[in-house]
Amino acid sequence: MAYVATRGGERAIEQAERLYRAQMGPIDAGTVAEIEAALPSLIDRVMGEASLYAPDLAALALAQSGGDLYEALLLLRAWRTTQPRLQIAEVVEPDQGFTHRRISAAFKDIPGGQILGPTLDYAHRLLATDVLQGDTFSPAPVEPARKPAPARHPSLAEWQKEQGLIADKPLQPVEKDDIPDLTREPLLFPAKRAHSLQSLARADTGGMLALGYSAMRGYGNAHPTVNELRLSEVEVMVRHPGGATFSAGRVKTSQAEVVTARGKTDLSIGFCATLGWNEVKVIAGATLDLNAPGAPKNSPVNEEFFLYHTEPVESSGFCIHFKLPHYVTFQSALDNLRAARAKREPAKSPVQTEEPA
Amino acid sequence: MTLASLTENWKAFSYGFLDASAKREMRRKMIKAVAVPGCQMPYASREVPIARGWGTGGLQVTLTLLNKASVVKVIDQGADDSVNAASIRRFLTRVSGAEATWDTLDATLIQSRHRVPEEKLRSDQILILQVPNPEPLRPVEPNMSVARQMHADADYGRLWLTLYEQIVRSGRIMQGAAYPSMVNRRHVMAPSPIPRWDVPKLNMAEHLTILSAGREKRIYAVPPHTSVEPLVFDDVPYKVEDHGHLTCIRSGLKGFFMNEIPQEDGTAAHEVSDSHLGIKAIDRTSGEQVEFGETWYKDGEMQQ
Repeated sequence: MAYVATRGGERAIEQAERLYRAQMGPIDAGTVAEIEAALPSLIDRVMGEASLYAPDLAALALAQSGGDLYEALLLLRAWRTTQPRLQIAEVVEPDQGFTHRRISAAFKDIPGGQILGPTLDYAHRLLATDVLQGDTFSPAPVEPARKPAPARHPSLAEWQKEQGLIADKPLQPVEKDDIPDLTREPLLFPAKRAHSLQSLARADTGGMLALGYSAMRGYGNAHPTVNELRLSEVEVMVRHPGGATFSAGRVKTSQAEVVTARGKTDLSIGFCATLGWNEVKVIAGATLDLNAPGAPKNSPVNEEFFLYHTEPVESSGFCIHFKLPHYVTFQSALDNLRAARAKREPAKSPVQTEEPA
Repeated sequence: MTLASLTENWKAFSYGFLDASAKREMRRKMIKAVAVPGCQMPYASREVPIARGWGTGGLQVTLTLLNKASVVKVIDQGADDSVNAASIRRFLTRVSGAEATWDTLDATLIQSRHRVPEEKLRSDQILILQVPNPEPLRPVEPNMSVARQMHADADYGRLWLTLYEQIVRSGRIMQGAAYPSMVNRRHVMAPSPIPRWDVPKLNMAEHLTILSAGREKRIYAVPPHTSVEPLVFDDVPYKVEDHGHLTCIRSGLKGFFMNEIPQEDGTAAHEVSDSHLGIKAIDRTSGEQVEFGETWYKDGEMQQ
């Protein structure tokens, strides 16, 4: 009867929440600042999935949820959705960002150069156990290059378009205030391009990796080549009521462009971008985008399939909702089962039943 | 004149949590849903401070309809004291100042998961059903775009076919809760996972029912005096759960939908699923003055 006993209601849920929070102890501004400073990758991932660029709020959400990523996301999304839209920032062109890292796997060298930037790609993944013995792990200082890399880089796709390798599709300019906004409209299919890219930008990193990886292993029709991967900082340009345009600050962004040449006269491109630096996410997302055109319905690379199933707040919420009591639906199914069984007696054959979610 | 005198003081959240633009969209979509009974209307479905799948669709409707004069009842599986119902009720009263009740007769708004109360609802009451899966065609067509087209064409052949196959395989229709039902002779809807017992209560009812799936971002409605007909064959009548003869061990009520409680001696006891109806019956037995509403079922039979 324990489960039914938890129907005790308000007091029970209050105490259950206290029990959870007791594990984490008090949270203060110092805790939040420490999380923000120590875990930039996690903060970036959370900001991307929350589609809210606010490192201090992301750190606060992580502290408040005890590091449960889906709980942290829900906190941020529920807060975000209540905030007023003051205005839409100016559009950012790819070559305007301040580039920290920019690599291409398609060519040995590219116009503007390959910029490694900050990465653990070539680090040996050895656990620094000395830290647990009391030593401090102090990273060696960075030695500046003799000649600094340029801050801005052209898009490699521009070069490919000039070469005729990529179809130069005509621009379809949209007033920035008319850009469809996924957070204010439902996602319907066939999806507007803006909605697709916005969905990918806020999708669950792990979910996108799982489906993207399935495509990479062969459940898609196109093998991705990383044409260009970029980590940048871009200015958020907004308009002052007096008319002047100014930068409200910089945000970190990631973008990946993957291409395939299979069975085509020119290269097909897949694209994904997100807030924060999260390379796995944008490569997986671009791979899904690359495979989406013409994908069979209900395949993992069908746009409806992967966009619905990588929505982190929806998927995690539905998964945990199965903890809620379902005894009414179960009772309804049992009634059918017993009636069908009674009809079949004494021949006891297995009976199929339909039970809704 | 100062700027402060012209504006409202800053508040962390709007009245009823949702901001004005979200509520405006909800009102528009609810009106559309009422105008085309049973037809699923897509809506933005904002995130709310409870998890998706836990009643976020119902919550957005209730938050939009709430005002300070509202009296809200929240039930889960028929029970007011179920933990998630308690959580939603606490949130609703916290952000609106509305009054809460357990008594169906007193409520102006009833948000429910998986049940329709046993007492008849009136024209001044709105029933808000939480919906996990708004798409009755999902078992035969998981792709939402294709399913949407099928609704447009009133193409329900495959749904009829699955019901027929169940009869062939098991000797009867095996659809449990969420029984697909034709609304206003045009759109088939999933009436949310209410038991078959509750579906006839929506047919030609006095009250408005709004069904809202937050995670799936679909809203639909059964307006008052609108037909809701479970899909059945002419020669195979609709069967509700065989609960009409069961008696509640706690309240002594008979002829309502019951929860089955397994007993240690291998038998099963039953308690009435509409928990507050049970409480009222117990109070009446102990001599208190209790008001009972008219019920849809009498002696275990639906009254038309």
